[in-house]
Amino acid sequence: MEDWDLKPAAGMDLPPVQQHRSIAREGGLLESVVRGGWWSFVRCSLKVFHRIDYQGREHLPQKPSFIMVANHESHLDAMVIGSSLPLRMRNELFPLAAGDLFFERNAIAAFSAITLNALPIWRRKCGKQGMIDLRKRLLSEPCVYILFPEGTRTRNGEMGAFRPGLGMLAAGTDVPVIPCFLQGTGVAFPPDRVMPRWKKISMTIGEPMYFGNVENRREGWNAIAAEVEASVRQVAQHRLIQCPPNK
Amino acid sequence: MRYGPIMMTTETRDRLLGFQAAWDHPVTRWVTIGIAVLIVVSGSILWCGRRTGRFGDAAFNDAFGRWKSWTWLSVGILVPVLLGAAWTIAAVTLLSLGCYREFARATGLFRQRLISVAVVLGILILNFAVLDHYERLFFSMAPLTVALITVISIPVDRPQGYVQRVALGALGFLMFGFSLGYIGNIANSQDYRPLLVLMLLGVAMNDIFAYCTGKLLKGPKLLPETSPGKTISGAVGGLLLTTTLTIFVGHHVFVGTNMGHPIKLIILGLLISSLGQLGDLVLSSIKRDVGIKDIGAVIPGHGGLLDRFDSLVLVPPAVYHFVSLNLGPLGGDQPIRILTGG
Repeated sequence: MEDWDLKPAAGMDLPPVQQHRSIAREGGLLESVVRGGWWSFVRCSLKVFHRIDYQGREHLPQKPSFIMVANHESHLDAMVIGSSLPLRMRNELFPLAAGDLFFERNAIAAFSAITLNALPIWRRKCGKQGMIDLRKRLLSEPCVYILFPEGTRTRNGEMGAFRPGLGMLAAGTDVPVIPCFLQGTGVAFPPDRVMPRWKKISMTIGEPMYFGNVENRREGWNAIAAEVEASVRQVAQHRLIQCPPNK
Repeated sequence: MRYGPIMMTTETRDRLLGFQAAWDHPVTRWVTIGIAVLIVVSGSILWCGRRTGRFGDAAFNDAFGRWKSWTWLSVGILVPVLLGAAWTIAAVTLLSLGCYREFARATGLFRQRLISVAVVLGILILNFAVLDHYERLFFSMAPLTVALITVISIPVDRPQGYVQRVALGALGFLMFGFSLGYIGNIANSQDYRPLLVLMLLGVAMNDIFAYCTGKLLKGPKLLPETSPGKTISGAVGGLLLTTTLTIFVGHHVFVGTNMGHPIKLIILGLLISSLGQLGDLVLSSIKRDVGIKDIGAVIPGHGGLLDRFDSLVLVPPAVYHFVSLNLGPLGGDQPIRILTGG
């Protein structure tokens, strides 16, 4: 028989409001059921209203941990990426979301934490510690992070430069980074709209990238950000040649 | 008179949903008034203390937080009992699920989702059986759910940790599902409100009596490793005062019945007090073993649901069976299987 391993849930001494904002937060059966319902709803909606099309799903690893990275045009982006993964991964799936947008108001924070399983990144006051905690969690348990390294949704349709935060998560680890290109989300649900439009969306998934040999310091982080950005642009180019936006 | 496909008499419908009879019994009436007066008076004292500057900001905020929590707790406990048996059973279901959730998160059992599925399923069916007044199903849910807990994780083919997860699952279900489910069972008797009020009042006051006498008399610790704050004088004080309260209130609840005899009321009081204190110690043992101070933080100033309701966990089955032993099965005069028929 194994030794008794009575390890309480992380952050269980925190009041619910603070628990939702905690990076170490752990969910149980209730959250799992809610997420099962949410991701099923998202998949159906994307199929019915946006005729979603996935390419390159064979590049997805069979098991966590890995990081999904994509261009960022819309709040639909995380939903599209999450829907490309098997439903059984819903409890290991963590969209990294802007703290000031998704975790400042209590009701929205509860929704982000319970339904989306999002973890906060405080864009103005994150500091190094937030990324260190995220990296620690990524390496200590099965996790799938969804990350938009541009840091914000594009307002002009052009993909911005990737920030080095991604490198802080992946440098010197065996965790693969999966570059993805999302097309149509900005038209379907641009930042200035309240409700999405019924427009076609597609997602192209590139080959996994590994950064085990890259040093976990600023130069390494910048190199990773640049390399992944180039890879996303390459996936985008490949997709746009195959299927131009007006077709 | 029967309603549609559901085999429900007017009497049963009134018991389940009729709040008109809420204050028919003097015990229910006076306890409700007493609690309302306590809330208003303590709130007024706080407000006056704030206005006259006797409470500083920190002291007021702390006291006000606790007052707010007590008010919500009193309303949350009393209102379903007054509204009707169906509301009481619904509230007990939520309490069971909430307590199990905290227990599972404290012990790490929540990571074993299949075990939690079995426990939650057991709690839901058990409380449906209570609502349906289907006692045979209620009692059979204990062995059936424990059986489900023992087999549900076998197909995963992961024997490592099997004994731990099954033992914790069975303990969680029996304490927070089966035991608390008896509160709903008590609500299946025609005049359930005064008995439930007596039990809930006894459990709540038992905590307060033990705390106050312990603080007042001090003396040797009861179980210093398990709960360093508790003293023998507190435990004895709680036992004596709660039994006295039970005799006094119970005399009005059971007037003219077999249970009205003072010896039986003394036994009832001793049961409520001793099991209340033991429930508290059971949860303290779990917390010490796991190495946490509070089992949650949903109730400001109190901790988790279990930190507040720990002393209630073991009491309902004892009260139900002791009263049934003396008065005949509680709810025995009520129609059974009111929702499922048959």
